[in-house]
Amino acid sequence: MTNQVKAPAKKKKKIASLDRTKARAGWLFVLPFVIGLVLIYIPIIYESIRYSFSNYTVANGVVTKTFVGWKNYSDALFGTADFTQTLLTGLQEMVFDIPAILIFSLFVAVILNQKMVGRAAFRAIFFLPVVISTGVMESVMSTSFNNSDASMDLGAEENATQKLESTMALEQLLASIFTNLGFGVGLVQYIANAVASISNIINRSGVQILIFLAGLQSVSPAIYESCQIDGATSWETFWKITFPMVSPMILVNAVYTIIDSFTTDSNTVMQVINKMYSNAVDGAKHISAAMGWMYFLVVLLIVGLVAAVFSAYVFYQRRD
Amino acid sequence: MDNKPQIKRETKNKIRVEFERTSLKERLKAKYLSTYFLTNVVWYVFRLLLLIGIAFVVLKPFYTMIIRSFMAARDFTDSTVVNVPRHFSAIIYKAIIVDLQYFKVFFQTLAFSLSCALLQTFSCCLIGYGIAKFKFRGAKLIFFMVVLTLAIPHGTMQSAIYYRFQHMDILGILTFLSGGAQSGIGWLDAILSKIKILPFPQGISTIRTIIPILLMSATGLAFKNGLFIFMLRQFFRGVPDELEESAYLDGANTFRTFVQVILPLSIPMMITVFLFAFCWQWTDDFYIPLFFTGDRPAFMTYLPSLTQIPATLTNAYAKETGSSSAYKQAIQYGCGLMCCTPLILLYLFCQRYLVEGIERSGLVG
Repeated sequence: MTNQVKAPAKKKKKIASLDRTKARAGWLFVLPFVIGLVLIYIPIIYESIRYSFSNYTVANGVVTKTFVGWKNYSDALFGTADFTQTLLTGLQEMVFDIPAILIFSLFVAVILNQKMVGRAAFRAIFFLPVVISTGVMESVMSTSFNNSDASMDLGAEENATQKLESTMALEQLLASIFTNLGFGVGLVQYIANAVASISNIINRSGVQILIFLAGLQSVSPAIYESCQIDGATSWETFWKITFPMVSPMILVNAVYTIIDSFTTDSNTVMQVINKMYSNAVDGAKHISAAMGWMYFLVVLLIVGLVAAVFSAYVFYQRRD
Repeated sequence: MDNKPQIKRETKNKIRVEFERTSLKERLKAKYLSTYFLTNVVWYVFRLLLLIGIAFVVLKPFYTMIIRSFMAARDFTDSTVVNVPRHFSAIIYKAIIVDLQYFKVFFQTLAFSLSCALLQTFSCCLIGYGIAKFKFRGAKLIFFMVVLTLAIPHGTMQSAIYYRFQHMDILGILTFLSGGAQSGIGWLDAILSKIKILPFPQGISTIRTIIPILLMSATGLAFKNGLFIFMLRQFFRGVPDELEESAYLDGANTFRTFVQVILPLSIPMMITVFLFAFCWQWTDDFYIPLFFTGDRPAFMTYLPSLTQIPATLTNAYAKETGSSSAYKQAIQYGCGLMCCTPLILLYLFCQRYLVEGIERSGLVG
């Protein structure tokens, strides 16, 4: 009767578009993380926050949880003497450390990027702290080199004072040089402090040097070449080319440095929190959790602030 | 003075050019007394000194550690001995190897760190690739969560982490099926407690096993895995899409493309991540003490516990050295060195890839 051919109903099955298949594949790839997030991480965060708002008491193996509201927080802020103080000094330290680490690591990365004899060896040495000075090694080395080469020798105290004197002398010398050059007192103090804590700064800037080095490597040599032909000095080249080109790295490094420096165990605030945690007093663990969350919020605020300020000045090369 | 070169024809095929050459002195002056050359020399010397200085600061602790750990006990009471020991002794190392069973601990830690690092590298690759190359709803949220896992200090959540793994559960299903669920409403609780399909009213305790750390490694939540995921994401974003597209055209599915096309490309980056993961797991002193509270089961000795001081040494030397603090520290150095020497060897072997991997990552952006 008619030439119409009916398409078989089976073939009307919906075929997922490419985008949707790819989206599904994407979910498949991040699946391990999502599982971890749902099963482990989010419950941990939830538990930890709840922990900071309540008081658990264990009697005869039965855990009773009582909700105490902001009590742990107010205890942390006002009940314990040193938390607010340490928090403030910790933030001060951070304000001091982060520019020092950033400037130092950028400087070293620029130097290590130049061609010279023994570059590979220097690179190998400079990144050594990244892999070695963590975890247990950090504590072994810090017990020894903070309270110093001094305590090993017999005249421990004598040696300590000597060491103090020598660094003091260095600081004073530097201070006098820079003051005579007409720098402000604050800057002088800053540089003197940076010199005094140089080993600390070096040990903490390994990853940052790596990241800067990666940024420097990705700058096209053609730009430098044309700059040279136009007669720019290396100083000008640094500020007009290198600095803008690595500015995204500066943002990444600033955020990384902040996060890294406040989550290490050697951080003073973390030490207070850990001490509180290992404290046997009833409820101390809850106060420690409350402290941790307050600290986290403060640092998150700082990271946000720094990221906002830096990203206004970051230069992104358009690559088309 | 006429400086023009004079050309004389000597024979048919030979000429002789006579000109007054600038004197050697003048030439040297021009070459070596220019500002360009001088600044270069000054910069070269300054740079070299600076680099050597920094290298010194990095290496000095290791030198001190090595020297101190080889000193004999009596050198510690001798105030003239500072940087070079007068009497060598390897007794600290002997104590570490024999008393602390170094080799047994070493191989156990090796097996454990290796498996953790491999798991972490693989899962971070998967996650990083998923975030970098696929557009799906929630990708940004997941990336944000990755950064968040990096940012929240694990120290603040110690008790919560411990609690979670002590009462391991899958979304409360296990406790629900075992009648351990509590709703806070009387009659509902009475019904809930009747359910007895499974025997885990408190969840399954995984404390004192290696399960928690393996689980965290497999899901990209272990120590600083956020950083690895971030690094790998940046790397994968730099890999041109055309590679995958041509693989798709050839009929490979996404997973096969990932394994056969993308992974071989990213070997330097993976070695970098593996190196970090391995070293940081090796020296980890947070999770293992957290999960293995109290006395450790025999199969789970781990290397960082070497930093505790062998009893035989403290007893034997406390009397000989009087103040044992310096000696105690030397023993700790010995332990620390024994702990990190394998890492240094591994590092020397891999450091070429470290820089290469980072360089190729194109971390910009």
